[in-house]
Amino acid sequence: MNTMTLYVERNSPIHRLDPLVKLLYVAASILLTYILPEPLYIGGILFVTFLLLIIGKVFRNSLPIVTLSMFLIFSLVIVQGFFHPDNVTELFAIGPLVFYEEGLYVALVLVMRVLVMVGAFSLLILTTATDEMVERLIKKGMSPKIGHVILSVLQLIPQMRATMVKITDAQRSRGVETEGDLLTRVKAFFPLIGPVVLNSLNETKERSIALEMRGFDSPMKKTFLNEAKQYPHNKLIAGLITGIVILGIVWRVFG
Amino acid sequence: MSVIEVENLKYRYPDTTTLVLDDLSFSVEKGECLGIVGENTAGKSTLCYALAGLVPHFYKGAYGGKVTVNGLVVREHEIATIVENIGLVFENPFSQMTGAKQTVYGEVAFGLENMGLPRKNMHTRIEKYLKLLDVYSVKDKNPFDLSGGQMQRVAIASVLAMEPEVLILDEPTSQLDPQGSKDVFKVIEQLTGKGMTIILVEHKMEQIAQYADRVLLLHEGKQIDLDTPEKIFSRLDLKEFGVRPPVVTSIAQALTIRYPDTQLYPVTIQEFKRLEEMK
Repeated sequence: MNTMTLYVERNSPIHRLDPLVKLLYVAASILLTYILPEPLYIGGILFVTFLLLIIGKVFRNSLPIVTLSMFLIFSLVIVQGFFHPDNVTELFAIGPLVFYEEGLYVALVLVMRVLVMVGAFSLLILTTATDEMVERLIKKGMSPKIGHVILSVLQLIPQMRATMVKITDAQRSRGVETEGDLLTRVKAFFPLIGPVVLNSLNETKERSIALEMRGFDSPMKKTFLNEAKQYPHNKLIAGLITGIVILGIVWRVFG
Repeated sequence: MSVIEVENLKYRYPDTTTLVLDDLSFSVEKGECLGIVGENTAGKSTLCYALAGLVPHFYKGAYGGKVTVNGLVVREHEIATIVENIGLVFENPFSQMTGAKQTVYGEVAFGLENMGLPRKNMHTRIEKYLKLLDVYSVKDKNPFDLSGGQMQRVAIASVLAMEPEVLILDEPTSQLDPQGSKDVFKVIEQLTGKGMTIILVEHKMEQIAQYADRVLLLHEGKQIDLDTPEKIFSRLDLKEFGVRPPVVTSIAQALTIRYPDTQLYPVTIQEFKRLEEMK
């Protein structure tokens, strides 16, 4: 059975960071791509994000997540390159369809933004144990219910992956061809959708019952098994990230 | 002393017209093990939900009658209050892992955190129940990396750690392999031995016969009978309700091996052997 988390256990300085600081980095990096919308600056943020993934020893683990976003990236390039309203300078043509330089530039900015978002979220999810992050947020005053919603969202992909493996095995044992060329795999994929979705919904309902039976809705003040963890240099790093965002804003306004 | 009292319980799920529970009345004594049997759709799981407060708080619908658990009227109290008195373990071990914790130790702690138990007491309870359920050796593992049997024992430990008065086990072994089932029944044997009040829903009649003090027979939401395993499994019309007696009882019926005083059939191998020797 696959573990129900995307977290990758490694010994790295990124893993030892406060989850809230990593959340701050996610927010700051995305915000900066809008404050400084030039490809050069966004490229810089992307470089830092990928560098952090490498330092966190999870760069390779982030590749499947980046690959998942490829469909969106290709769509962006096609739509902007062919159809952006500011398109003037022709780059190449495929029959009657003309691909423009202006559209490519807009697409480049958007693609880099998507990559920053995916990279930053990957950094957070792959280097932070979900329970540690949720517990940290709850200790900061967030409602446990919202905490559980975050947890459920983070578990959705691994949960569906585990269900999919289970159902694929069951279908294979009944003679359904699930391996081979692309067409065979595509054909095998569609019958999976119904059972996977229904199973996931059922498991979610059962998990809600399990939560109820563990007093999740209790009006009592929650206590915690683990003592509050100490994160070194927490304030310094958070201050640095905030400072960079403020600098970015100043640069944009007065630069 | 009754820990559970059910009076004229009726229930129907939202947007349905059939009563899933139809006028049930019974009580469960402290330290008793009550087996619930019946075919699928008899209302066994819904009855468990009604005892644990999930009906009518989680599952809405038409509800009538009264369920009292440890003096608390279920309808009038939140689930969070009821679970301090009654714990529920159901069939799918995978979906009973909350996913909120990365270790078995943390998983057992989850309910205690919600109850607001001080940290020191938490450790004592967690260790006690991990050892009781024989899962202490996997305490640092991720719950989702365990086998089905281990996961189910962690689910039982997590519920027991909240120290409820009553434990409901709703087909706890139906998704487990033979070894996993055996391990869970070993735990049930231990708990009944310790005098815990248990409500056991199970399709393996041999296990019901082994552990239950009394058996509640349900059919289409109706209470057909509530009596000792010997009386229930000696009923000649049992199959009409989709329930087959333990194999040993069927053999005893074929060989007419009965208790001389009551004319009932034995339900366990031990009793069968004893009566056969007497014969």
